[in-house]
Amino acid sequence: MVEAFAVASGKGGTGKTTSTLALGMALAEEHDVTVIDADTGMANLLFHTGLGDADVTLHDLLVADRDAAVDDAVYDRFGMSVVPCGTSLDGFAAADPERLRDVVAALAADADVLLLDSPAALGSKSAVLPVVLADRIVVVLQPTVPSLSDGLKVQEYARSYGTSTAGVLFNRVQPDEDVETVAERASRYFGGPTLGSVPESDAVRAARRAGEPLLTHAPTDPAADAFREAAAALDVRPGDADGVADRFRSAVVPDRP
Amino acid sequence: MVVDGHIPEGRLRRSRTDADIAETLAGVLDRELTGYVVFEPQGSILRGDDERAVITFDSGVPVLAYHPPSDAGGADALDALSGGPFHVEAYDLPADALSEAHRVEALRVAPAAPAERLATDDALIERTRAAASDDRLDRDPDASSVEAFLADEDRIEAIRQEARAEAEERAAEWGLADQLDEG
Repeated sequence: MVEAFAVASGKGGTGKTTSTLALGMALAEEHDVTVIDADTGMANLLFHTGLGDADVTLHDLLVADRDAAVDDAVYDRFGMSVVPCGTSLDGFAAADPERLRDVVAALAADADVLLLDSPAALGSKSAVLPVVLADRIVVVLQPTVPSLSDGLKVQEYARSYGTSTAGVLFNRVQPDEDVETVAERASRYFGGPTLGSVPESDAVRAARRAGEPLLTHAPTDPAADAFREAAAALDVRPGDADGVADRFRSAVVPDRP
Repeated sequence: MVVDGHIPEGRLRRSRTDADIAETLAGVLDRELTGYVVFEPQGSILRGDDERAVITFDSGVPVLAYHPPSDAGGADALDALSGGPFHVEAYDLPADALSEAHRVEALRVAPAAPAERLATDDALIERTRAAASDDRLDRDPDASSVEAFLADEDRIEAIRQEARAEAEERAAEWGLADQLDEG
């Protein structure tokens, strides 16, 4: 039983990786959660989880001639299964994005919730695949015009592939930003509920430096509380694991001539 | 000397005529210019007017805009740069020579504002944002601009339609057309 979410924003700097891990840890209180760094071109989940020296990463699973089993790239950390991605350009160059579907299908078998930390871009197949493969997306936004604009764009890409929006999370909110008004007006255009509003926090940077997710590093920080509330607002709809796996496997089939 | 006397004379790197501002902005971004560019509309040269406007850059990303003849700064100064062609002079400067001027809020523009307002080149807008530091992208001193954006249903519908068309076009390129939702 699994539901796969792509945590997406379309724009960099919204705190997607921090959000993915925070939602994952909060959801792990009730579910088996697997977090996958699907940002194969600009991986950073490993640095947030103290896995900077991980031997096997998602990159190894995406290379055809590499003899790595999926389990080798899964690390039990912070109550979740974490699949980091490597950071080397060689690894990225050698990776075949189409293999992501098999990796995700294999991981789906053992999880209640899959969270795909997605690239902050839509310009390549590997960047769009997480949104194609997921059941629904969580859109991470800041209450700014560029962020809202890019969030609309990634939502529209997702909808093109039949992937709906589970909710919207406002992150890195500055004290002087009237996020309530913005969220209310934005809700006309985005699917799902507003999951929450997470204040900008120095603890996020400190957690990143410590190589820990925010909820471990600063569990009582207001940002951590806000992420937990957002996770509680996310209605996980467990589906049929076999169905999900089939969908992943059938995804990315090249067009017939 | 330009912009209220805060910016010292830089070293001239390039002097040429560009057909439109997108060309200039793309070139500056590629070369990661730190310094400023003086734009002079071609008509202004012929008439002998001084209609020059200036944009400063930090590593190729716009920071300030100023139009001395109208004393317009920030987004307002960008209006002086519509149309083209322009004679363009690009000067470089050490970043610390610009730091004082870059603190003048009234002259600041969002990183992608010149590209958004003056060039219809989505790739340039995206590249500019990607090159801008996070703290620049977070700046949104005018909260009302967010509300105005969300109130503009036509603009939002245009973004959606463009994204939808782009998604479908690229799906075909990437062999993902079978995955598109027919509904």
